[in-house]
Amino acid sequence: MKKMLITITMLLIWVCGSIYAQTPTAEDILKNSDAVVNAPQDQEISLKMTLTDKGGNKKVREMKMYQKGDEMRLIRFLSPADQKGVSFLSLPDDVQYLYLPAFHKVRRIASHIKNDNFAGTDFSYDDMSASKYAEEYDATLLEKTDDLYILELIPKHGVEKSYSKLKMWVRQDNFYPVKVEFYDNKSTLWKLFESRNIKKHGEYWVASEAEMTDLKKQHSTKMITEKIKLNKGLSDNIFTKRNLKRVK
Amino acid sequence: MKKTFMIIGILLVIFSNSYAQADFSINGYLKTDNRMLTDDNSFTWNENQLGLKFEGSYSDDYHLFSEVRVRGFGFPEISQTADLQGKDKIYKWDLEFREAYLDLYQFGLQDLDVRIGRQIITWGTADKLNPTGNICPEDLEDVFNFGEQACVNSVLATYYWKDFTFSGVYVPTFTPAVLPSGIYASALSEPMEFPTGMTLRNSSDKIILPEQRFTESSQAAFKVGTNLFDYDLSVSYYYGRDDLPLCNKVAINPIDTLGTVDVAAEMIYPKMQVIGADFAGNLFNVGIWGEAAFTIPDEVEMQTVMGDEIQKSIALKDDPYCKFVLGGDYTFKNGIYLNTQYLHGFVHERGNDDLNDYLTFRFEKKFFNDELKIVPLGGAVSVTDWDDYRNNYGFVANPEITYYPYDNVEIITGAYILNGKGSNMFSSLKDNDEMYFKAKVSF
Repeated sequence: MKKMLITITMLLIWVCGSIYAQTPTAEDILKNSDAVVNAPQDQEISLKMTLTDKGGNKKVREMKMYQKGDEMRLIRFLSPADQKGVSFLSLPDDVQYLYLPAFHKVRRIASHIKNDNFAGTDFSYDDMSASKYAEEYDATLLEKTDDLYILELIPKHGVEKSYSKLKMWVRQDNFYPVKVEFYDNKSTLWKLFESRNIKKHGEYWVASEAEMTDLKKQHSTKMITEKIKLNKGLSDNIFTKRNLKRVK
Repeated sequence: MKKTFMIIGILLVIFSNSYAQADFSINGYLKTDNRMLTDDNSFTWNENQLGLKFEGSYSDDYHLFSEVRVRGFGFPEISQTADLQGKDKIYKWDLEFREAYLDLYQFGLQDLDVRIGRQIITWGTADKLNPTGNICPEDLEDVFNFGEQACVNSVLATYYWKDFTFSGVYVPTFTPAVLPSGIYASALSEPMEFPTGMTLRNSSDKIILPEQRFTESSQAAFKVGTNLFDYDLSVSYYYGRDDLPLCNKVAINPIDTLGTVDVAAEMIYPKMQVIGADFAGNLFNVGIWGEAAFTIPDEVEMQTVMGDEIQKSIALKDDPYCKFVLGGDYTFKNGIYLNTQYLHGFVHERGNDDLNDYLTFRFEKKFFNDELKIVPLGGAVSVTDWDDYRNNYGFVANPEITYYPYDNVEIITGAYILNGKGSNMFSSLKDNDEMYFKAKVSF
């Protein structure tokens, strides 16, 4: 009997140990996920955004996005004509600037605007910043399916977000986030983000299609990557107020 | 005029050809702006506008931009039969050569950018009302469109060093402000006052522009900007001229013994220096900004000539005065956006005794994925005498609805409701409540 107990205990320790060794912590999963999305040293992406309302009416926006590391991002609208030249710069320490050609001015984005919709899309200004979930959210592993980790993310103490929690589906094989649910302050599901068509570009995983759906408004924004250049050695000068109002 | 059309035609051909070869674009817009007084249904504004924007760059080293506007006004200027033979009298129109500049990036130095040509230079962090923005003259043609600026032919050099930005501007020639017209012509000027018993028959004025030479017409300005403690800060200096005219000579000519007079006024643009400072940042989630302009004017003497008698007084003292703006904006959790500013000293006010206080405000809320924007409450309030504010106030309310039915299409309807007491800008327009309808399509 004693031998049997020892054997069972050893077996349990081995099983638990094996599981522990195979399943990274929620925090590690989130860090890995951020790292995979922001893996290229820099990115230059031509995007086409299609906005669809609940009646099926569509609006199209074209833009160019530059990103370096996981903290610097510049987005410039190419169309429609009334938004051409509107540019958005996201820098470290939550600093964001907007250039509106009609006003000839670069304006600092106040923190209360960061949760507003970005140019009529379903993404907020905050969503349009480079994604660094691990820095801003505490993660808990809810479930592990055959090929996905399911995490729950709660904003860290002192971090102000318009979402009370997030639920994130992360691929086990490459840590790429495939789906994120965003919950409002009443813990009601508000937005749904999905990454699709995730393929390797060289050594990096890239989703060539992503869609954010606002479930309350029944409105969605689909982003299609039309051209992508990775690791082209983008200069830090691109991510400056100086460059924000430049055409090229 | 034919020559102008030819130039536009040539530009279009050049740009069209270039379009295929390089990163060139031609964009523009069509706009209509129609306004009507609410009390007698008379139309006060009827404008249609075509704007064309040419933009391009052959390389990363330079970029060019130009905008021209063709505007047609729906009020015929007909007084005799012969006028009916001219389309420009029946359907008045004008061509506005707005911006036309060349950007030279990394010009000579890695961190130096230069912009040369006809351009708008906006300094200051406040919304539309910028006391530190003195380089470009005010365009007050539409008096309700506060903050619109006209272009100047100038050179702007900007040097970037670490977190600092150094800007220098040189404007060789002087450009005066565009003044309000039609029923708004008197909005920014005080009514003429005469001694008891004196009656005005005719009045005329003469504008004396500064001579277009280096020492008289030139303007220069410098600015240093940086970011400190998470706030964008800058200090600036401007040397130039006030872009609004100031009366420095009045000749009163008696016509009869009953006290009837003709008055001829002479107006100049006084020299001034402005030391400015501004900031923008966040305070507890509220966007805040402010700017102050410490203005040092040259003294201007006033001559009043009546017959052989000449009286001298001071039209503008050389005492420094300070205009400033403090503002903030916030988006409430229900999506209502509030933008408000407190302004001491409007664009046309000069001297410590003439600066009045204004509060501008705008509540707005967007609906249907930003397709509809409603401003139920927007406008400005001014108080010209705090000791007797009940009899010295003015306000304009500007409720507005903007609808974006499709991409590039914008339809706006709204009203200006004015009231006030005493002598101030809004009370002088209080009989001019009007509704407006505007539409714009961009391409």
